[in-house]
Amino acid sequence: MRPYDNRAWLLLLPAFALLGVVGAVPLLAVINYGFHDIFTLSDVHWVGVEWFQTILQSERFLASLGRSLLFSALVLAVQVPLGIAVARLLLTCGRGAVWGLMLCALPLVVPWNMIPMLWLGLVNPQTGLLGPGLAGLGFDYKFTALHTWALLLVMDTWHWLGLVVVLAYAGLSAIPPAYRQAAAIDGASRWAVFRHIELPRITGALAIVFLLRFVDSFMIYTEAFAINAGGPGDATRFLSIELGEEIKGFSYGQAAARATLYFLIILCVVWAFVIATRRREGEGA
Amino acid sequence: MIRALALIALAGFILLPLTQALILSFTATLPKDGVAEGTMGLMNYANVLGSPELRASMVNSAVYVLVNVVLCISIGLPAAYALARHRFLGDRHFLLAILVFRVTPPVVLSLPIFILFSALGLVNSPLGIALVHCLFNLPVAIWILESFIRAVPRELDETAFLDGHSGASFFFRHLIPAIAPGIGVAAFFCFIFSWVEVVFARILTVTAGKPITMAINAMFGFQTDIGMVMAMTCLSLLPGLGMIWLVRNHLARGFTLRA
Repeated sequence: MRPYDNRAWLLLLPAFALLGVVGAVPLLAVINYGFHDIFTLSDVHWVGVEWFQTILQSERFLASLGRSLLFSALVLAVQVPLGIAVARLLLTCGRGAVWGLMLCALPLVVPWNMIPMLWLGLVNPQTGLLGPGLAGLGFDYKFTALHTWALLLVMDTWHWLGLVVVLAYAGLSAIPPAYRQAAAIDGASRWAVFRHIELPRITGALAIVFLLRFVDSFMIYTEAFAINAGGPGDATRFLSIELGEEIKGFSYGQAAARATLYFLIILCVVWAFVIATRRREGEGA
Repeated sequence: MIRALALIALAGFILLPLTQALILSFTATLPKDGVAEGTMGLMNYANVLGSPELRASMVNSAVYVLVNVVLCISIGLPAAYALARHRFLGDRHFLLAILVFRVTPPVVLSLPIFILFSALGLVNSPLGIALVHCLFNLPVAIWILESFIRAVPRELDETAFLDGHSGASFFFRHLIPAIAPGIGVAAFFCFIFSWVEVVFARILTVTAGKPITMAINAMFGFQTDIGMVMAMTCLSLLPGLGMIWLVRNHLARGFTLRA
């Protein structure tokens, strides 16, 4: 058991101070702005919960919330199983697995604003490698909502699959070989091995994957905006794109109220995750 | 057989957009300097490296990412050690707090960060970006380093202190060599999340100090030389490739949720 010693806080102090300045102070400022109408920084009026009421009652907000939730659900439903499948595939490759991991990590180092450029280039009907073929099939990401969604989903999967693969592989490769050998002797099916040996052992790694992928896809901005700026119509108008519009329109009070709401949604999800993780740890102990 | 096909499909999926970028980066996409459109060659790379602004942006990016990685490791290491070796009042709350900061979307904090950093005189400087990127990188660094320190037996600490090492000499002589791969992995994740980030990098560089990402954005205009953009993109991948190569054997350690 680790000893109880409050002097450990001294070691935590630098981290605590830094996160206070770049995290806690701005966060409190945002929440405070949300209750004000801000014309300029010297012309600020208290408006109470007016912004929050306006946003929560607007149908556009609810529609964007629905779209963002749907996008996150799709992202998780595609990327997590696919990432686990790729990680299991790499696990059977022996020493070649390192090359597979490096390959999967490749899209992670591409600057975010270039990812939509790469994909728009790829599906360009004139010059793209896939463009002419896709155009022949009637693919049109600009004006067909379903195709925009498909492009966004494929692009996001391309971008983030590597993170899922690396973390899932980390969990899977940490399982002692004796477990699999025992299962093989018992004649367990591949599904049974996955369900009863691998899955329980990678839930720790998967929890962080779920959380990071949920949050980043829920708040997708750079990529989604560059593809079609929320179009066609409002079909890919996600929560973050609405927030971006308000900031660009200098509606700072409302933007801050909106940011506070988004933060609260994220906070609820994190809280649910932490409760679930602690309960699981409690069962394991 | 199926395995080989799956691996080929995976490689194709990942490499296809990058292949497109690589081909474009070697193609003249705008007729200029007497080079006809569609000619293959290195002129895009020559143009990128010949432009003082683009060269400056590479330096800016390198500076802020380096500062960020050094900050995250040097501040994260003591914190990770404290969390791995001791229990104390509020340790779980601290873990919860860093988790919350890691997942707070940058766009939520962009406005007050800008106001705060202009008051502190940190706008337009790589230091400002390096500091604000600690918001999401420091938690990741602490998680990774903590898991590596936890894997080192406590006897290492105890024998070092019995041998008369002070805290500092124990840290540098014993602990850091023992968890060197962990420091590499933490640096890698800090690097990838910082190098590619766009939202903070945009709002904190109004007139100067632009990093690579913003320099690429600025290249889009009425007549965009897409070949040059792609050449710049390919160059911006090189440090990332180097990082992947350095930590390739330790990537599989990853990190897990701690809260």
